[in-house]
Amino acid sequence: MRKLLLIGLLVGIFTVLPSPALAAAPLDAKVDAEPAQVSTVLGGRFKITTPITNTGARPSGEILAHLNVASIEGSVYVDPEDWSSNRSQQLSLQPGESRKLAWEIQAVNAGHFAAYVVVVPYGSNVVGNEGLVISPLVNIDVASRSTLSAGGALPVVITVPLLLGLAAAGTFFRARRRGSGR
Amino acid sequence: MTLQVAPPAVGMSEDVRAGAERQSGWLVVAEQECRDLWTSGRGLVLLFLFSVLLSAVTYLTSTNQALNFLEQRESVNLVLQFAVAVGVLATLVVSADGISGERERGTLETLLVTPVPRRSIIADKLIAALSLWFATFLVSIPYVWVLARGVGILGQALALGLCVGTLVALGLGCIGLLISAVCNSNKTSIAASIFLLLILFAPTQLPSGLPQGWFFEVLLRANPVASGLAYISSMLVEGHSWTQDLSFLITPLLTAIIAGGALILAGPRLVRLTRGVNAG
Repeated sequence: MRKLLLIGLLVGIFTVLPSPALAAAPLDAKVDAEPAQVSTVLGGRFKITTPITNTGARPSGEILAHLNVASIEGSVYVDPEDWSSNRSQQLSLQPGESRKLAWEIQAVNAGHFAAYVVVVPYGSNVVGNEGLVISPLVNIDVASRSTLSAGGALPVVITVPLLLGLAAAGTFFRARRRGSGR
Repeated sequence: MTLQVAPPAVGMSEDVRAGAERQSGWLVVAEQECRDLWTSGRGLVLLFLFSVLLSAVTYLTSTNQALNFLEQRESVNLVLQFAVAVGVLATLVVSADGISGERERGTLETLLVTPVPRRSIIADKLIAALSLWFATFLVSIPYVWVLARGVGILGQALALGLCVGTLVALGLGCIGLLISAVCNSNKTSIAASIFLLLILFAPTQLPSGLPQGWFFEVLLRANPVASGLAYISSMLVEGHSWTQDLSFLITPLLTAIIAGGALILAGPRLVRLTRGVNAG
């Protein structure tokens, strides 16, 4: 009888006490991304919006939406910080609540890229095995734009010193002739 | 300097005549100072050298094929900073020659006997020196245009260069004239001014990889040239608004006010013939 009571007590304790692994609840949220496709030129600025909806029955708690940019063609190095200076937004949503987050982006490399937003739980009670919610990809096509070339600069680089040199020489010799004439 | 002041009109009262003489004398001296600088070829030679330097920097910048959009803003910033720095140097050199040069050439005596207040003579010297700054700025416009046209910052870059450069040139021009008024020898005056400019430029040449703590910040902000150039960078490269880093302009503004004030107050006593130099 004692043994049975002890076993029952232990089972009860392990059932009632929340274990860290059990505390992690998946994020019940949905993230979309608009527009699906962006075509721009190098240096172009554009905005994407990501509506985030809490599809669960509980408040989401503190969550963090984080923007990322990746090159999906070729081997272009991407530093997302160059693309957007503000890549994280913190929020919390009530059940059924939806919020649109806007992201300002500047295309700093030419090529084919994808931007996406990932929603992660936020705060000190994050366990680490919570599920992530990821938006669909936004395809970004960036055309290169070559505005700086040696050929473009050459006329200015040659003409300006040439004209000034001629003017300086003319003025200098005229001043000398005037001085020697006196 | 050979000065020709128009004779006063006959039939005018003494006060009116004196006032008119002073007013026209002021204009005549200003015109003569500018003419001395530009028709002697000195100003144009300085402008030519300035354009050669700017051409070299612009060509090196534009031949770098690896420059992408963001770095192109940095190249505009580099050329503009270079234009402002060298333009200010030229202004300082010309103003450093202002009084001591007249003393050494023996033309100061002629200038002092003209019916023009000494403060006006100093102001005219400053106008002539600043005319060189404005000329260097005009020369730098096509270079900035070549680099900035593709990134849409041409207007911003030119407005910044003109405002910040004029403020720094005004302050350093006043300092150059103060040094020139104090020094008996032209060589000493120009050497002291160039040495001062080198001291001011030194912090801007520190490698960006060095740890930049509060001491560097103090050094940067206490220096009118470095803080003026930092303001240009913050707007052109970092894309800050014009009010965001306005504190960088405090030192250039204070330099212009303090050096200009000192020139106005002490100038009439400093602009005089001194013993031991050729007085013509």
